This record gives sequence, structure tokens and C-alpha cells, in this order.
Amino acid sequence: MSPATTVDAVLEPLAAAAAGLAARLARVTVEVRGRGRGGAVGAGVVWHPDGLILTNAHVASGDVTVVLADGSPRRARLVARDVRRDLAALVVDATDLPAALVGDSGALRVGELVLAVGNPLGLVRALSAGLVHAVGPRAIHADLRLAPGNSGGPLADAQGHVVGLNAMIAGGLAVAVPSREARQFVREQLQG
Amino acid sequence: MEALLSLSNDLAGAVERAAPSIVAVHARRRLPSTGIHWRPGIVVTADHTVRAEDGLTVETADGRARPAALVGRDPGSDLAVLRVADLDIAPAALGDDGALRVGHMVLALGYGPRASWGVISALGPRWRTWRGGEIDRLVRLDLVLYPGFSGGPLVDAAGRVVGLNTSGLTRESRLALPVTTVARVVDELLRKGHVSRGYLGIGMQPVRLPEPLRARLGLPGDGGLIIVMVEPDGPAARAGLMLGDVLVVLDGVPVGDLEDVQARLGGDRVGTTVTALVVRAGARAELSITVGERPRRGAS
Repeated sequence: MSPATTVDAVLEPLAAAAAGLAARLARVTVEVRGRGRGGAVGAGVVWHPDGLILTNAHVASGDVTVVLADGSPRRARLVARDVRRDLAALVVDATDLPAALVGDSGALRVGELVLAVGNPLGLVRALSAGLVHAVGPRAIHADLRLAPGNSGGPLADAQGHVVGLNAMIAGGLAVAVPSREARQFVREQLQG
Repeated sequence: MEALLSLSNDLAGAVERAAPSIVAVHARRRLPSTGIHWRPGIVVTADHTVRAEDGLTVETADGRARPAALVGRDPGSDLAVLRVADLDIAPAALGDDGALRVGHMVLALGYGPRASWGVISALGPRWRTWRGGEIDRLVRLDLVLYPGFSGGPLVDAAGRVVGLNTSGLTRESRLALPVTTVARVVDELLRKGHVSRGYLGIGMQPVRLPEPLRARLGLPGDGGLIIVMVEPDGPAARAGLMLGDVLVVLDGVPVGDLEDVQARLGGDRVGTTVTALVVRAGARAELSITVGERPRRGAS
């Protein structure tokens, strides 16, 4: 196979698929703003079309303003918070929001591609790509460059399924709360 | 979407193919390093991560620890070879580092397994490390070598090992030693327990020579190395080199720093004769030195 053929056959569909996935992820990612007039303090994931948004506990410690993918700002009420898991649940008054497809973090393999969307350094819905570095029950480590502002945003697999919420950077690695933990949190706090 | 998913599956597959021959090497306090099961019972790792010579263990992915014996080490190329009895995991599948191209997607793996993803950022010709090791090819990586990744494999898209990653040879960039070099050094360490390097038995310090002197003597370059120590009865002493001589040319090549001298003293030069041009008492002097073999650390 000549190099030119390779680009046509593999790289272009890959780039197109990545761009499609990034756009889909951006639609389910919200920007979380502080109480003041400042910019984004983090990100969040639309978990349910009826207005449930998940983010990190360290991003939302009370009611906040979120900016939806269509650019509209909404007041969001903090309805649950779990500092140990670093998860918080927000509710906005909405129906039919584009919501994330949630994947199974327990099925992740080391080496799988992952994508993150967030608001690093004030950039709105910026994409980073990397791969699964290691998987544990409480955390997914990803070889992926994050920055402050990615917190609470989605970590998704190659199919666009959200497998975690990015929570911090440790030793250059992205650390995400696994989707299994997030499901458990939603079950315990909101459906109990 | 299909393209992304198949790339993702291929990457995870490459990790799974390479992972069974990776071990954790416990040879320093706190953080283990990574080792590659190179051939049955032989594990290779990065020398700078081996701080102890006794009580070494390697740990396979299933968590079993086994005692390991240090067979030999080569600080020059930052490689160490361990022997492990009853290591019932598959040896690494080796690829061809000659087929690497800039831009190729590669993975660096650490024990666990843990993975890091990137590309070959540059390839270069044969080079010499600051410690005198001869590396067949420069392989520079655009990826992150996380703590504990030194000694682990650089893996191509097919899951074959094409190099051994180390952060011990340069400060600023991430490098892999090509499998060709690893294979050569492992063979030599298994055969002799060490890698030969040429040796003159002198201590040197770089100096600048005044322009009038350089012009009068017709010297190349703008400096040389002043001899500050001569090992009694060493190769240089036997050739008549003296304290205070300034070495200007070695083996036909102008020398301005220690690396220039190291570069003329590969293992293949042991036993051969090199010419040295020195400045002694304001005049040129030429000497013939028979290159010796560098004594090993700790050897008597």
C-alpha cells in the first residue's frame, strides 16, 4: 500500500469519525460557571434529557449557572453531592436535552482510544484525544492532556459512549470518575 | 465511527499482545521499573533503574514475584540483563526497528499493563550516549514516559516490540533504544557480563588554546583537553603521555571535549593503536597509544 493510499483509506475516515464524535460529545457537554461573572470553572455532562447534569463535586458546591451546548445559560440547582466520589448532580429546568449515551467503564481495555471534552483554559468545548492508561474500580487513568476546566466533562470511548467524568490531573495523567461510579451515584442519590 | 472503533480496538489489541511479556522489576526503592522478557529466562531493563545488585525480584502481570539475578549491566547504553528461573511467560515478539518511519503510531508500555500513546517524532543515525554507549539508531518519541516506564517496550501498531524506552540517557527528550542495539548488548552481556569500551587511563579537562599558539603550531579547532591525571602504567602512560600535555587531535579527529574522546574509544578499538597529537611545552608532539579496555566498576 503506498503512503498516499493509506491516507485516503485510513486517515481520512479516521479524521472524519473523530470530528463527528467530537461534535456529538460537545452537544452533551455543558459549561459550568461560578456564581460571579467569571468564565467557566468546569464542565458537566447531560445525563438525562429531563435536565439532569452530572459534574464533579469540586466544580459545583452550590447552585450554579450552566451554559448548554446551544449557548443558552440556565440556572442549575444542586440536588446531590458526593465529595468522596467527586460527583455532583445538577438539575436545570428543561426537557429533551441531548443527553449522553453512557457506556460501561468496567469493559474498558488498556490501550483503547478515549476522548475528552471540556473548557480547558477558557476554551469552550475543546477536545483532547488519548488512550486508556490503566483502569481501576475508583478511577480511570488516561494518557491524555487535560487542563483545569476539563473537570466534570465527559471522557468517552471510540463509540462516543461516556465512560467517565474527568476529575483531575495526576502526574500528567487524566484521572476520571468511572461511569459505573456515576451510575451508582445517580441510583443512590436520586432514585432511592 | 467505524474507523475510530477499529483503531481503538487495534491499539487495545496491540497492548494485549505485548503485555504478557512485560514484568515489573523491583531493583530500587519505592517505584519499580519495567522489564521485557527478552528470551526464555532473560529479562532486560533500563540500567539506571537497577540500584541494588542483590535481592532483585521481577513480578509478572498475575502478581507473582520471582527472584532475579543480575547477569550484567551496561551503563553506557543504559541496559541491564537479569536471569529469572522458571519464568513461564512468553518472550516478547520482536519487530524490525529498521522499518520505523517518522509519524508511525507507537505505544510505550509499563508494567500493569499501563499504556502511553504517541508517534515516532524523529529518527537519526548511529549515535553515542554521554556515557559512551553506542546506539545503532536514534529513535525519538513524541509520547509521555510515565514514572516506572523506563525499561519497558516501545510497541508498534502490530504489538511487536521495536525498542526499549528509557528516560535515563537524555534530560529533555524521550528515547527508545532500538531492538537491534538491545539484542547486541544483551548478547554481549550474556557472553561476557559487560560491554567493552576503549580506555586510555587519563583524566582530562577542556581548555582553550591562545590563538598565536594555535597559529604557530597549525592546530585545528580552538581548544583541546589538558591532561590532569595519568593512570600509572595505563595505556596513555605507557605511550609516554604526561601531566600537563594538551590533547588536540586523537585518531585524526580534533577533540574539544570529553565526548569527542569517548567517540574515538568504542569497544572495537580495544587493542588497536591510535595516534594522539598533543601540545607539550609549546611544541607539537605525536604519540601512539594502544587502546586498553576500560576496567569495570568494582572489578579488581
